[in-house]
Amino acid sequence: MWETLAQAVINGLLIGGIYALVSIGVTLIFGVVKIVNFAQGEFVMIGMYISFFLSSQFGVDPIVSLVVSMPVLFVAGVLIQHFLIRRVLGPNDMPQIFLTFALSLLLLNLALMLFTANYRTVHTSYSDEAFHLGGLYIPVAKLIAFVVAMGLSGALWIFLHTTDLGKAMRAASQNRDVAMLMGINPNRVFCVALGVALALAGAAGSLLMPFYSAYPFVGQVFTLMAFVAVVLGGLGNVMGALVASLMMGVAESLGIQFVGADSGLIVVFAMLLLTLAFRPTGLGGGKAR
Amino acid sequence: MIVTRNLLWLALGLAILIALPLVVKSSFAVDIFIRILLFSFIGVAWNLMGGYAKQLSLGHAAYFGLGAYTSTILQIDFGVSPWIGMVAGGVVAMLASLPIGWLCFRLRGPYFTIATIATAQALMLIFLKFRDFAWGAEGTTIPNLGSAPLMMQFEGKAAYYYVVLGLLVSGLTITWLIERSWMGYYLVAIGEDEDAAEAIGVNAPRIKRDIYMISSFLTALAGTFYTQYIYFIDPATAFSFNISIEAALVSIVGGIGTLWGPVIGTVLLETTSALLQSWLGGSVGGIQLTVYSLILMAIILWRPTGLIGVATEAYRRFASRRPARA
Repeated sequence: MWETLAQAVINGLLIGGIYALVSIGVTLIFGVVKIVNFAQGEFVMIGMYISFFLSSQFGVDPIVSLVVSMPVLFVAGVLIQHFLIRRVLGPNDMPQIFLTFALSLLLLNLALMLFTANYRTVHTSYSDEAFHLGGLYIPVAKLIAFVVAMGLSGALWIFLHTTDLGKAMRAASQNRDVAMLMGINPNRVFCVALGVALALAGAAGSLLMPFYSAYPFVGQVFTLMAFVAVVLGGLGNVMGALVASLMMGVAESLGIQFVGADSGLIVVFAMLLLTLAFRPTGLGGGKAR
Repeated sequence: MIVTRNLLWLALGLAILIALPLVVKSSFAVDIFIRILLFSFIGVAWNLMGGYAKQLSLGHAAYFGLGAYTSTILQIDFGVSPWIGMVAGGVVAMLASLPIGWLCFRLRGPYFTIATIATAQALMLIFLKFRDFAWGAEGTTIPNLGSAPLMMQFEGKAAYYYVVLGLLVSGLTITWLIERSWMGYYLVAIGEDEDAAEAIGVNAPRIKRDIYMISSFLTALAGTFYTQYIYFIDPATAFSFNISIEAALVSIVGGIGTLWGPVIGTVLLETTSALLQSWLGGSVGGIQLTVYSLILMAIILWRPTGLIGVATEAYRRFASRRPARA
């Protein structure tokens, strides 16, 4: 019993690391640019397809292909901010919500047209390897993904707290108007925020590839997970999103283990609805809009 | 003068719509007309809350599905006519909108939207999971009784066309009445700036709750109709995310928060979709929504007032070029 429980918690934490990369991106964009990116999961999907094609065409290891997927998506993020999102920043919610929503629909359906709905997998030498610790079972691919994900989150934290650009982003997220008065160029900060967030999503995609299938709809689950984690963690709170993502990974995994194979998502929705009912400002308190 | 002229145009339009299935016999064409009327009606229902009060829900499939399931369960398990089931479904949806609204309205803006998506998805999962209660993932077919107007089953598509035309006309009438009442002004005030509206004494939570109930009721009627029309129900079609998307999309493309916006948006989108289908033979998956999302992006970036806005602008430019009447 305890072993099953510990195993479920480990599985949950490992996948929670990936959720964290996606939700940190969502919360970063929300904090800095004040928009919700409905397309975040689709960028995970794009990261997965990049890794899949590099692997199947050139034999590149999916985890090594991070060095391609992250820069490609960083540039995509900068372009999307500069040419699309910049045009709808204003007091009105409607264009902001539906622009990123349209982007999500567009990317998903383009993927469906170009790559068909088939599941694509990459088999690596370590895909089936696992460590055995006592009675516990730790798959290597998921462990690597988790460690790299935590490393990237740590790197982001250092970036936000030590570099000028990172501090400018945090300033813009705390009080945009004052930050502008201090001479921070909003569009530049927003472009970097989008770029970083999308690069993280791309990284999540590449890290998933050794043990997860790529298909056009794969991003939707990650978007939903990220939204729940961002609400749980407090809107715009990077650390909150990280902790909440790990919690959700564990909750989902416990749901799968103890309620039934298809009830992971039900547990996640239940968490969202309970949070909304009792702590609408997130578990940490914080300020909801 | 203007009122009578508008009434004349309306009467003419309605007469054409009533005559349409008598003239057009192709069942392919009538099927497209039915889709246009149905999605116009869903858009009109969405627009009441999403358009006037700017509460941008992407979870209206929840009510579409509840309506569809209520009438189907009543019909198959209890032999109740779908005509009664339709109203019952509306009432169930209306009651369900109370707790759902209580939860979702705690959030504003994009997070309200996310909460509505989550509730619709959660409902779909519930219907997928509870097999004994509602046939689980396989769904069920509606027993075909041949021609049974009392059970909302007709021979030929024309009768379905008149049913959904009736729904659309009543939806538009309700919108027209609300638009002109104090409630319409309150809704627009909430949509413009909720805090400001509350500051001048609008009871925003109550108004939002009431309009959500009306909007859910109407959406549920569409759910019952659709199930009766395709003789089949399962959680994936009844709670399809595409229903939620299309409800919002047609309103935004046509003109958000306007009486005719959803109708105009649906005519454009559904015609495009039908043309694409006859042109490509439906062989390429995803093309329809690719085109929809491009249209949506273009509207948001260049004409946020929708096609109605484009038309009004063009009319004004045309009118200002004419010499003023003496």
